[in-house]
Amino acid sequence: MTVTVPNTGAASSAEAEEAGPPAKRLASPGGRRRRGARRRARRAGLLFAAPGLVLYALVVLWPMLQSIQYSFYKWDGVSASVWVGFKNYVTFFADPVLRSTLGNVLVLIVFFALLPIALGLISSALITRSKHPGMAVYRWIYFLPQVMTSVVVALLFKRLYAPEGAINEALRAVGLDAFAKNWLGDFTWALPAVGLIGTWGTFGFCMVLFISGASSISTDLYEAARMDGAGPIREFFSVTIPGLRGQIAVALTLTITGALRAFDLIWITTRGGPGTSTQTPAVALYKAAFVNPNVGQAAAIGVIMAAFCLIIALVITRVAEKE
Amino acid sequence: MLSQTEKIWNYLILTVLALIVLWPVGTFVAASLSPDRAGRPSTDLQWANFVTAWTEAGFTKSMTVSLIITASVVVLSVLLAIMGGYAFGVLGVLGEKVLFPVVLLGMMVSLEAIIVPLYYQFRSFGLTDNLLGVILIHTGMGVPFGIFWMRAAFRALPRAVFESAEMDGAGPLRLLRSIAVPNIMPAVYTLILLNFMWTWNDYFLSLVFLHGDNQTATVALGVFQGKYVTQINLMAAGGLIVAAPVLILYVIFQRKFISGMLAGAIKE
Repeated sequence: MTVTVPNTGAASSAEAEEAGPPAKRLASPGGRRRRGARRRARRAGLLFAAPGLVLYALVVLWPMLQSIQYSFYKWDGVSASVWVGFKNYVTFFADPVLRSTLGNVLVLIVFFALLPIALGLISSALITRSKHPGMAVYRWIYFLPQVMTSVVVALLFKRLYAPEGAINEALRAVGLDAFAKNWLGDFTWALPAVGLIGTWGTFGFCMVLFISGASSISTDLYEAARMDGAGPIREFFSVTIPGLRGQIAVALTLTITGALRAFDLIWITTRGGPGTSTQTPAVALYKAAFVNPNVGQAAAIGVIMAAFCLIIALVITRVAEKE
Repeated sequence: MLSQTEKIWNYLILTVLALIVLWPVGTFVAASLSPDRAGRPSTDLQWANFVTAWTEAGFTKSMTVSLIITASVVVLSVLLAIMGGYAFGVLGVLGEKVLFPVVLLGMMVSLEAIIVPLYYQFRSFGLTDNLLGVILIHTGMGVPFGIFWMRAAFRALPRAVFESAEMDGAGPLRLLRSIAVPNIMPAVYTLILLNFMWTWNDYFLSLVFLHGDNQTATVALGVFQGKYVTQINLMAAGGLIVAAPVLILYVIFQRKFISGMLAGAIKE
């Protein structure tokens, strides 16, 4: 991959230059000239990077700060805003409907994160670490859900889950009529049903990630484990999983924050319903920002989500590095 | 060496998992060609469903909008990424010890964290329901990944290439144009594909910012499926139309897509 080439490039020479003893650097006139050239280059660099940095600051950094500011006000989007302090944050954790979105996220994490990662780990362990002809075709298939628009993914499953959809017809065909139901309209089943869409969408990605990671685990480790008399299950826990620590951390971070941020799938399949049984923080944010404007509350939800994402990413990286 | 049974098991597992992925897609494709409103598969292939769905959903308008947005974002993002990546990877940037971490931070900022002030600020500038507004947001949000990606590509180039050209008195702009860019085209192509996919597939931003005549294809599809709940075959055809551009690119450039998404996820 283009990005993994070690530091033979600009950075190493820049570091070497900064690390060198200053006295020596100043002593030679050639060094001084080179230092002047570097400064000029860095000034030119700032000029080159400026357009992107300015746009990024205007569209991302500035609104991020404003989100925090908005979150301390009560505002309906039209009339004057009123300072309310931390009330919007308190409301998020106190209001039963808003608080329930966090519970829904926990359920979604099982389907969006834990299930795909477990499936990916098991399959990457079962598939022996050797070249498989035709693997490219499988990889293409497993990645397919990743490149499809979320709207289309939602439609695929809306159809399968419909009262007359394929899943209910299959149940009826084998005589399980009693289990047939309108999956997305059911208070108990809508959330797991939406969750399974996430499982379908991400397990292929996790699998490809783990299979490519497993291929770089040294075969010596497996041989050593076999010599110690480890069975396949112990081998899995003592060699495969530790060897894939980095990939597991990446997959966990992406999928857990994905569950926390779930919007498109849910908005198109259930709009957060029935009732509020599939409502996520992102859906609550959308409703508060644009449906029944309570803009300060929406901003507070956005800040809370960003904080959670950041904490999750930091904790997972920290744990993965420590072990 | 693998034993025969081991091999068979491997392929069995791979195939079962592949079928789980393909089954919903397959039934969807079958539904889109079915004459039956409920979308039951049929051997009587109705290609006209695609034409009907196209006109009923008004895709001429919304696909054009999506195309304008996506093309503009791809061009702008790639330009900014090359310039930024060249700056951070080759020239060095004044104050980069502070600036680079701030750029990396941007890869973790989610749209939800900024959408509320963005919307109300852009509304006061008249940039809501305006393609330019959405193009600017997509491009700005893409800057961190673009710089990160192109910086890595530039750093992978041998330093000597630049040094010898510098000796000849070439300025930074000429270096970039004549030496750096031709050598980093593979990374640029991957970036183009990823940007295309992210922008085309976006739903949330377009849903918030664009309405009526300015709807993107994904949002128009969302509206269309809400109106045609009972005509599954047309809904499926519409879905395939919207998914088609990215799917076609994915068929042609699968290696670049997969390696780009894996590398983008791992970010190393």
